[in-house]
Amino acid sequence: MTGLLIKNFVRSKGLMTGLLLLFLSGLISLNVGKHFLEKNQQLIQQTAHFQQENIDRNVKYVNKEIGLLLYYVRFGLANHTPNLAGLSIGQRDINPAVLSVTIRNLEEQKYTTDLMNPMYQLIGNLDFSFVLIYFFPLIIIAFCFNLISEEKEEGTWSLVLSQAISPLKMLRLKLCIRYVSVLTVLLLLLVIAKFYLAIPVDNAFVAFGLTAILYISFWFSVSWLIVSFHRDSSYNALLLLIVWVMLTIVIPASVTTVIVYKYPVPEAFGTVLESRDGYHSKWDQPKEPTIQKFQKHYPQFNRYKHPEGKDYSWLWYYAMQQMGDDEAAVHATDLKTKLRKREAASSVIGLFVPTIHTQQICNHLSQSDMANHLNFIEEVEKFHEQKRLYFYPKIFTDFAIADENWKAFPLAYFQDKVSVNWSLVLIPVFSICVICVVWAGVNFRRPLERNARYE
Amino acid sequence: MSKLFIVNKYMLTAKNLTKKYGEHIALHNLNLTIEAGEIFALLGQNGAGKTTTINCFLGFVEPSSGQAIINDISVTQNTAETKKYLAYIPETVMLYGNLTGIENLEFFSQLAGFRYSKEELSGFLSKAGLQTTAHSQRVGGYSKGMRQKVGIAIAIAKKAKVLLLDEPTSGLDPKASNEFSEILKELSQQGTAILMATHDIFRAKEVAHRIGIMKQGHLVSVIDSRDISATELEQLYLQMV
Repeated sequence: MTGLLIKNFVRSKGLMTGLLLLFLSGLISLNVGKHFLEKNQQLIQQTAHFQQENIDRNVKYVNKEIGLLLYYVRFGLANHTPNLAGLSIGQRDINPAVLSVTIRNLEEQKYTTDLMNPMYQLIGNLDFSFVLIYFFPLIIIAFCFNLISEEKEEGTWSLVLSQAISPLKMLRLKLCIRYVSVLTVLLLLLVIAKFYLAIPVDNAFVAFGLTAILYISFWFSVSWLIVSFHRDSSYNALLLLIVWVMLTIVIPASVTTVIVYKYPVPEAFGTVLESRDGYHSKWDQPKEPTIQKFQKHYPQFNRYKHPEGKDYSWLWYYAMQQMGDDEAAVHATDLKTKLRKREAASSVIGLFVPTIHTQQICNHLSQSDMANHLNFIEEVEKFHEQKRLYFYPKIFTDFAIADENWKAFPLAYFQDKVSVNWSLVLIPVFSICVICVVWAGVNFRRPLERNARYE
Repeated sequence: MSKLFIVNKYMLTAKNLTKKYGEHIALHNLNLTIEAGEIFALLGQNGAGKTTTINCFLGFVEPSSGQAIINDISVTQNTAETKKYLAYIPETVMLYGNLTGIENLEFFSQLAGFRYSKEELSGFLSKAGLQTTAHSQRVGGYSKGMRQKVGIAIAIAKKAKVLLLDEPTSGLDPKASNEFSEILKELSQQGTAILMATHDIFRAKEVAHRIGIMKQGHLVSVIDSRDISATELEQLYLQMV
């Protein structure tokens, strides 16, 4: 029976076209991912190259005062992009892969981003997670919505019911054939991705694959549930499309709205203003209070003094820059905390919404989510602080530029850690699958023979 | 004689079989027995209850009261078991257009738990009167008559003791219809009990041993086909309905 069901399936032009389309769009998405990774790689390599060039040139021309030199010199920290991010670009396309900062006030430099190529905003620029989350369900719906109703509508159902020892077994086989066909396309794409994007087979990749498998299993479970109600094809198609629109568009958009409303971040604007005012206004104020505040922050620099009667000193200048960060510090911390809260809230909601959950897990595993960006920013803060603490004493003592080893500041890298929480990855969607299948099982307890026709 | 034979003599039994849809009574207290090897034709207008009767035996319709019994087993209580004894040919046999005639037969036989070789399957199709050249063609291009023949082959391959037919010859040309009757007679001689709903009075008289006339859910008359000519039957039918 299985052989003939497969034959019938394979000979259906519509179904095969669907599978082919799915495969093709998957390939396109892999190519988009490849392009993204290459662009990223190129950007990091060029930054590494030009950073050294920039330092060398500045050292050559701004060679009198180290305080002035460090006004210009930028130190870059790159956020390591795992190749898995080629499958799920997430927020990586808007968040910068490298931040190059001077030791001046950091707050204003944190939010600089790469120039955005409008090409990336075009329709059709889809990553694999988009194909998985949006397109796979549509194909699954197209494969399953008329699993029973096509038999009724094409007239084969009564003959099937009169012949079959277990009509349910036949339906299960039909579903399995569809499941295996879609699963094959998915696995094929993942295998191609592994080689094409050179993704290492580690926990993250395995978890990514399992997430994808669970996600398509979820859509098959939902479809199985819908067909178990024995409604006609158009009703099933409509219902499944409503579920699709709700889960992929309406609910995620609503969740975003609710979260933005619940955790507003006026701090984003406040931080920028405070940071700017924090140092700009200091030009017009007496120098001493600024320096006192600075030395309160860094008691280790108490021994350095602003030369009396002078209008300007590098000690005062960097103290003034520091005030930009110090005065925005409270709001900046609040901003980060709220962004983390947003992330946490959407994770909780994601537990109940497979589309959101899948996107979150994919982005988490690919290190392309908000959490990764925040971790990166925190690392930038540490990196920046470290550079400050290294150079401050040299600036305050007017250290000779030529005595510094300027080759010792190559591009630095931040490697975020991905912990795979297996139960978080697997349990939520799996549980929803089980609920759907059990519910369908209850519906199927009524003999199928009694549903020979629509009620 | 063994008790078993007597018990099995009636392959199909309807006991006070009643089906109500709300206030509407589709089938009213039907009592009917059909022996092994007997062909019973049900005549009646559309909506008289013929199809409901067949659907009760198939288990597609749950009786409101009374029982449909096949081979001494209640259909309602054990549809899976009674199904093993019966084969069904609907008014229009619909098959899987992407599969060939022989593949369709193989599929439906496998559903019923039978496994046949290609030769055996081809044999069934030939026996049902389907030309050999059509066996390995996709049924998408089959005529209604050809599909009905695959339906017959499916029934033959199931070696069913009971055959339920719902207006199986409607829309068939006279030749195909005649061939169909011959096959029914052959099956009856082999001991198959056949219940056939039909509008074809002439065909009913030709093939059936007994003829029942239904009106508004009631079986109003049962006639032995040897006792009546086709013309008389037609007159009787017109008086009754």
